[in-house]
Amino acid sequence: MKINRTAEVTWHIIFFAAVILLIFPIVYALGMSFKPLEDAYNNVLNIVPFQSTLENYITLFDTLPVLRITLNTFVIATVATIFKVVTAFLAAYAFVYFDFRGKNILYFVLISTIFIPFTVTMIPNYLIVSEMGLLDTVWGVILPQLADAVGIFLIRQSMKNIPLSLIEVARLDNTGHWKIMKDIVLPLVRPAVTSIGIWFFISTWNEFVWPVLIMKTTDNYTLPLALQMFISVEGGTNFTVAMAVSVVTMIVPLALYLTFQKYIIGTFTSSGIK
Amino acid sequence: MSTLILVREKLHINKENALGYILLIPSIVIFAVFTFWPLFYTVYLSFFDWNMISPSKEFVGLRNYFDVLTDPRTYQILGNTFLYIVLLLVINCVVPYIFAFVIDVVLTRLKGFYKSAMFLPAFISLVVGSILFTWILNPVSGPLAIIFGWVGLEIPNWTKTEGWIIVVLSIITSWKVFGYNFILLYASINGISREIIENARMDNIPLWRIFLQIILPMSSATGIYVFIITIVQSLQYVFTPVKVVSQGGPDYASSNLIYHAYHEAFVVFRTGHSATISIITMALFLLLLFLEFKFVERRIYYEN
Repeated sequence: MKINRTAEVTWHIIFFAAVILLIFPIVYALGMSFKPLEDAYNNVLNIVPFQSTLENYITLFDTLPVLRITLNTFVIATVATIFKVVTAFLAAYAFVYFDFRGKNILYFVLISTIFIPFTVTMIPNYLIVSEMGLLDTVWGVILPQLADAVGIFLIRQSMKNIPLSLIEVARLDNTGHWKIMKDIVLPLVRPAVTSIGIWFFISTWNEFVWPVLIMKTTDNYTLPLALQMFISVEGGTNFTVAMAVSVVTMIVPLALYLTFQKYIIGTFTSSGIK
Repeated sequence: MSTLILVREKLHINKENALGYILLIPSIVIFAVFTFWPLFYTVYLSFFDWNMISPSKEFVGLRNYFDVLTDPRTYQILGNTFLYIVLLLVINCVVPYIFAFVIDVVLTRLKGFYKSAMFLPAFISLVVGSILFTWILNPVSGPLAIIFGWVGLEIPNWTKTEGWIIVVLSIITSWKVFGYNFILLYASINGISREIIENARMDNIPLWRIFLQIILPMSSATGIYVFIITIVQSLQYVFTPVKVVSQGGPDYASSNLIYHAYHEAFVVFRTGHSATISIITMALFLLLLFLEFKFVERRIYYEN
């Protein structure tokens, strides 16, 4: 059975409209970032930068330590991702392949932290970071963000899809847990772990709330914080420069998404929430 | 002999279990330090008057709770929070549910394209979204205002208007949240057996009934999950556009419970009030989860 042609066309029109709404801002920023400010103001609707210029990027690199800021963002995202993936992998392994007292309660308690609003831990975490002397440092931004149970949840989910008999056979052969972890489990959950890693990397890259509390000096900013300096409701005199910062902020996540999208969507679709 | 084996086995199992705990140590330490201790400390702080700088805290019992619960501003912000929740649920739960259904079940072409295009903004910083939409929706000189101008329409001055500010900030937040929820729902609908759907369509059951009577119940586990994360997480995502675009204004009209807790702590330095608001917010979230477990969980269908 088919649905009628008009209905199908109508749906396509609706979805195209939605896609334009979602994608237009990104394309718009790209176009505007290559326009001279005057042109951007006079031809608001013209996305294509006919008189294209690099002056916005030059201004940006002159006014801000962009490389330093990008490096900060990269270091924070990389370190946080590695820590989160490794600890989540180990925890998920324990939850799937071990039986110990209090396992279910512990799992439940850890997973329920996903539903705690960040404001509940905000002040004490600020005080901890401050006590440790880590205000305005990369570690001050990284540490509190490591407490995220989503990784444990997703990796456990994909480990549970591995047939248990595979592990049992290995155990009967007296294979040690490290070897099982490394040679059997990891290869099988690698697609999921990679996608989760990419997701963590991008979320940390984009994180705004926590770095905005911790980072004080421009040199230590991450890209979203640098971008915030350019925001103004009226558009401001730096509008096209703001578009250039937006592009710099988006470029890495966008590149990762375009490269791995099939992979990532695949993981979300197969090991998502069940 | 047999006891020896038994003992050995027992030791072996204990050793095994010990390894299980060891694997969990990193996670437990991280969560203990950065989630659980802070949680208790926030409860503690909600009974004190403090400004985060002064060396001494003054114990005030339940006065912070009394202050917060009798402040008319709290109810204004609670109302705002509720409006955000309703808007976010419609845009990020109802709409993507229908979209996912139609794209997966009804359409035959462009499925992959829609999936990748709709998921994409989930990977972009919400600060980027905030700055872009602020410009695109600029009521005087933004591109949308100009297009509207052609047909004689005007964009309200949303940054200064109660109500509109929440609508626009919800749209900005949804720009990021929509695709993530869409993909989760799509995955769940995609997992439903094609046979059931095909049979229903063979019997000429209208699509809206297939959606309501087959898809909705059979994807309800994910549906409920998306419903809850939309409330719990989108409400926190709203923080970014609020902070970047409106700072809670005009006159608290765009503040929600999350932003208000931040504002009390880091703008006006009333940690007691901030902690109290956070605890109340968490209590509301827990109530939501409890209701979900009590009334919905038993009736939903688990795909796996």
